[in-house]
Amino acid sequence: MRKEYSCIVEDKIMLNAETAFITISCPEIASSAVPGQFVNISCSRFLKRPFGIASADIEKGTFKIGVKVVGKGTAEIASFEKGQKVDVLGPLGNGFSIRDDCEYIIVAGGTGVFPVNFAHEYMASKGIPHKVVEGFRNKEQIVLSSDDFILTTDAGDAGIKGNCCDGLETIRDSISSGTEVLCVGPLPMMKAVGKWATDNGLKCYVSMEQRMACGIGICLVCICKIKAEAEGEEFTHKRCCKDGPVFPYEEVIW
Amino acid sequence: MDDHIRVNVGSVELKSPLILASGTCNFGHELSEYYDLSILGGLSSKGLTIKPRVGNEGVRVAETACGMLNSVGLQNPGVEYFIEHDLDYMDSLGCSRIINVAGHSYDDYMAMIEKLDPHKDKIDVLEINLSCPNVKAGCMSIGSDPEQIGMIVKAMRGLTSLPLWIKLTPNVTDIKAPALAAQEAGADAVVLINTLLGMAVDIKTRRPVLRNNTGGYSGPAVKPVAIRMVSECYQVLDIPIVGCGGISNAEDVLEFMIAGASAVEIGTASLVHPTAPVKITEDLIRWCSDNGQRLSELTGTLKLW
Repeated sequence: MRKEYSCIVEDKIMLNAETAFITISCPEIASSAVPGQFVNISCSRFLKRPFGIASADIEKGTFKIGVKVVGKGTAEIASFEKGQKVDVLGPLGNGFSIRDDCEYIIVAGGTGVFPVNFAHEYMASKGIPHKVVEGFRNKEQIVLSSDDFILTTDAGDAGIKGNCCDGLETIRDSISSGTEVLCVGPLPMMKAVGKWATDNGLKCYVSMEQRMACGIGICLVCICKIKAEAEGEEFTHKRCCKDGPVFPYEEVIW
Repeated sequence: MDDHIRVNVGSVELKSPLILASGTCNFGHELSEYYDLSILGGLSSKGLTIKPRVGNEGVRVAETACGMLNSVGLQNPGVEYFIEHDLDYMDSLGCSRIINVAGHSYDDYMAMIEKLDPHKDKIDVLEINLSCPNVKAGCMSIGSDPEQIGMIVKAMRGLTSLPLWIKLTPNVTDIKAPALAAQEAGADAVVLINTLLGMAVDIKTRRPVLRNNTGGYSGPAVKPVAIRMVSECYQVLDIPIVGCGGISNAEDVLEFMIAGASAVEIGTASLVHPTAPVKITEDLIRWCSDNGQRLSELTGTLKLW
């Protein structure tokens, strides 16, 4: 049976003024999470808040989340210190389906760097060939970057000036056929990356986001518009939390 | 299960007063991953309509200080798909099978009964949703008019022998009028209350948070409104009442029952803590044991000033 875990914050560091990186102890989640999945974290607000899992350490029995302050709930969670008790549901949703015999390009925009970080760590630990492309607004927003990643900024004050697609262009000629693109970020960015991938004959998976309540598929509020399978219907509403958050780019109605 | 928490809603025997409220448990698949649903008195299915509905556009949820607004808009796979794919599963759960029926018109409701009645061996109750605030036609507009309620319930009564529970909207001046209309037309129970119509505003965009502008307000904040309505109706009705609105712990259940409810539905609490009903069940059993009482003895024992 799944359960709601009572957990302890093991560590918290601030990555920049408005972004916290929190380590939470929960062996069950650490050992079962796959990249692209998320957790729901309690705070004093009425509903829990969803966060993509940014890292999982099976040996230590911990996982990490990145918390960017966007409202009162995230502000409170970002202020958690070591020892804070939190209720956690997870791992939730369907993550990326990562195969050992495939090559990947993983693309992150904004807070998408957190789930992408987990995908990168997972692939690195399994020796799965992959490249990481990250896009930020400007230098101040950069978190969890590495010299091995292709970095872009809209402002051009770090890395390549431009967006993730400009970053992808720089490696276009070196991509092997059959490479898959995994993308997490703001909607316009995922739409653009998905189109870039499709134009280049690559399969792309995106991680959709919508305001959530339960996180487990019972309330039907976090819908994503998906092309209908049945004839005569234009679209269907799938649940980001339970049917997603990962969907094939071409199935999403943008 | 402990016999002390067993209750009856008219002819319907429930092993516990706890029923999962429609629209907060789908058809049971997801919550079954968290606990054995056979501990419950019943599960009320997602509201079903004659044709599949994709529901409203997002954003569909807005958090409030002590609850939430939703504007799902009765997204459901349609009654035929439900019968083919989910009814047997609901039948297997080991709690009472309550099928929530919604519609846009008189004809819709009748067509729904005709589709469901042949499966009555797998159905314990038809819960008639005359109260969804999130669809443009039908439901709440019918449910706030006692005359229309009477007409629809009477016609349904002629089509099925299954118990009919009428879920009413609180968005009326006097809740007793629709409740009495349902009773006179042959309803077996009323369910009080569905969500309260509400709105939230995004102060940056000056637009409603919900894409549907308005939504149904639920959660602990609405409990006093629901308790008041249960109490008012208990004083004038002969048929039983199923209480619903903001229940999040065992004390809330006791409060509803004392006010006049024979059973209760729990909804938004499951969205916050999926296993909330497990804890509530344990606490109710403990309360019965500590107090040497059966829960059913509580119903309507409120001593008004």
